[in-house]
Amino acid sequence: MSKNGYLQIHDPLKPKGHAVGIDLGTTNSLVASVIQGKPRCLAADEGDSNLLPSVVHYAKDGGVVVGARAKTLAAEHPTDTILSVKRFMGRGPDDAETRKLGAYKFASGGKVVRFEVAGGQPVTPIEVSGEILRALKRRAESHFAGRVEQAVITVPAYFDDAQRQATKDASRLAGLEVLRLLNEPTAAALAYGLDKGSQGTYAVYDLGGGTFDVSILKLVDGVFEVKSTGGDSALGGDDFDRAIAQRVLEALGQSSPAPTLVAEVLAASRKAKEALTDAPEVELTVGSHRQTLRRSDFEEWIRPLIQKTGGVCRRALKDAGVTASELDGVILVGGATRVPAVRRFVAELFGREPLSDIDPDQVVALGAAVQADLLTNVDRQDEVLLLDVIPLSLGLETMGGLVEKLIPRNSTIPTAAGQVFTTFKDGQTGLDVHVLQGERELVEDCRSLARFTLSGIPPLPAGMARVEVRFQVDADGILAVTAKEQSTGTTQSITVKPSHGLTDEEIEQMLLDSIDHAEDDVQVRQLREQRVEAERVLTEAERQLEEHGALLADGERATIEAAMAKVREGAKGNDSHALKESIHALDEVCKPFVERVMNQALTKVVAGHSVEEF
Amino acid sequence: MKCWNCEKDTAGRPFCPACGRIAARPPGATHFDVFGLPRTYDVDVAALERQYRELSLQLHPDRFTQAEARERRLSLEQTTALNEAYKTLKDATKRAFYLLKLHGVDLEREDAGAQKDMPLEFLEEVMELREALDEVMEARNLDRAQKMAADVEGRRKTALQEAVDTLRTLEKAPPVESSVKKASHALGRVRYFTRFLEQVETFEEEMLA
Repeated sequence: MSKNGYLQIHDPLKPKGHAVGIDLGTTNSLVASVIQGKPRCLAADEGDSNLLPSVVHYAKDGGVVVGARAKTLAAEHPTDTILSVKRFMGRGPDDAETRKLGAYKFASGGKVVRFEVAGGQPVTPIEVSGEILRALKRRAESHFAGRVEQAVITVPAYFDDAQRQATKDASRLAGLEVLRLLNEPTAAALAYGLDKGSQGTYAVYDLGGGTFDVSILKLVDGVFEVKSTGGDSALGGDDFDRAIAQRVLEALGQSSPAPTLVAEVLAASRKAKEALTDAPEVELTVGSHRQTLRRSDFEEWIRPLIQKTGGVCRRALKDAGVTASELDGVILVGGATRVPAVRRFVAELFGREPLSDIDPDQVVALGAAVQADLLTNVDRQDEVLLLDVIPLSLGLETMGGLVEKLIPRNSTIPTAAGQVFTTFKDGQTGLDVHVLQGERELVEDCRSLARFTLSGIPPLPAGMARVEVRFQVDADGILAVTAKEQSTGTTQSITVKPSHGLTDEEIEQMLLDSIDHAEDDVQVRQLREQRVEAERVLTEAERQLEEHGALLADGERATIEAAMAKVREGAKGNDSHALKESIHALDEVCKPFVERVMNQALTKVVAGHSVEEF
Repeated sequence: MKCWNCEKDTAGRPFCPACGRIAARPPGATHFDVFGLPRTYDVDVAALERQYRELSLQLHPDRFTQAEARERRLSLEQTTALNEAYKTLKDATKRAFYLLKLHGVDLEREDAGAQKDMPLEFLEEVMELREALDEVMEARNLDRAQKMAADVEGRRKTALQEAVDTLRTLEKAPPVESSVKKASHALGRVRYFTRFLEQVETFEEEMLA
């Protein structure tokens, strides 16, 4: 294999794989990595945008298209093209968020949202997100011409356990090991903090396509401590689009529009929203329908949405124990913070002009790349640490449908809590446990994370058996539950089956399916990878020939150059196998020459030292 | 405690002094032990915060993402304990409750006998406050609710001070049962007042929303 071949001999310290940071966004996704000490977002091709539209199209022939090309197919195939899939992560079919205006065709039944699409079985949001992640992974691999297997993936700070779990499952489908699920505002703060070497207390206001987060962080001596976080995982720029779209559909006299029309109106509304950032007035066109939109009207429509973020910010400040005037700065993140009304609102709310000098679309991915580097690069480990919190309280159902909180919101993670249960009937051998997440008192107002029965309790008189249930929240904000019967010491680990998630078996099956699926594009990818590899090997060979030409044996230059010509030719063709062979051949031909170069370099190093020193 | 790696004594330290690997948490370690502090009410919070940051930098799971499973687990356990200890010790009220717990009275447990054991005049105080709050909430009178909150906050502070003073005397001499009881009664009141204030706060939020 040329990957570890002789032409790489001068780069012995190259790390085994590259760790990347991924911003898996509602509207766009990005992949970034630290390259030569600086975080950079990776584009598919030089000069291309580094935003990958979070759009997945399922074709009739079973093929899957992701990104900009999928976006262009949305108008024609609205229900086979999934936009804003993040809104559905970890959600059930009856959630209010699922039922908002949109061009989707849901499969009926089941606990998890599933989209009916062309070319096969209905797909879950986890699978759709998996496709986006796979595309980003591919992009990074072709950039590095090597494997990428570890990633820091960002999630909205306000994502609950089920949504986090779903994100982790999607990464598994894409063949990525999650180094850490990182909260988006924390990622942004990391990108800013390292850039400026700041100290102090900051608020991060993050309004994305589908989610809103606010975090209050304290930065001291390289430790980023999240003091509090708040948000709304069903509020974002998409809602601004819908606010326009609803008025347009009303003007069109459409009360139950077809998916194609909905998709078209939503796309036109988004464009209008973006244009209104600079223009006080824009014309919106849908088919033959024309409508003038004024910025002042738009601002009036979205006012209640923006005000909703105000209450969340005030609570976050209160939870952190600081006032707006005590902050050292406010950071803006997310595409929706480009809307002038949002900026004005934030400036007024916090009493200062917010910072937005790092591109609000890229800042989260850049921060994730920094964290990925911190987690994998031993040299950087003492510099910086993030201490994050759990966004929503965790609790248990108690008598009368009430929730008892065990772990309060804004507890620093990892964290744990225990609760002792006693039996209430003689000889009782099982106990029902219902785990909930949220701030409200009633079970029905909180998010149901899991229900399970503790079984195997020894039959004892009522109240005698004592079962300790322990909740452990890890550094990703994900919950694990274990139970221990105290009188006998029997320990039981419980697999928490998320109420709106997928079982391990379902994930396994999807993994198998996705492998079949992936066969199609393997060829294309391999060719691409080989081309990058070819280029690298050719450059290296040229450099060696130029620098160490004196070490060439008779006729050796001609042989090497002939092998190089073969590689160049292969790179122009479409046969990845042949190209690989030619790279291998070049590597072999170079072997004696490169060995001589190495020997010479070693002799130089050794000269002047005695053997004992080695 | 024997180190899992080199079998030498870890001396209750987060890292084995002999081989430097992350150690297991000694069983029965208190929040004070986590920071190597004496078991006293008075804690230098600024120094505690600095120490918390330093320990976090060493122990956090982020430092062990590429380590083997055992070390990752130990890091998770130690950091969980560190976070819990820091949260408890940095807060004047939580710290007092925790010290009382170390004296054998756990007021956080719902089934604790200590709660039923409160003096009669306290129960009268509770009844009186309860009635007054119900009235205010019914009348939706935010102004009076806030005045009540200020009054109860005053009572809470006095009760906490009483508890703290008693806990301090407990540090100096061998614990006396009557003193433990005194601290327990004072903190029982703190606990009630805190919950009362939370209710007022919820009411305030509802009124302002």
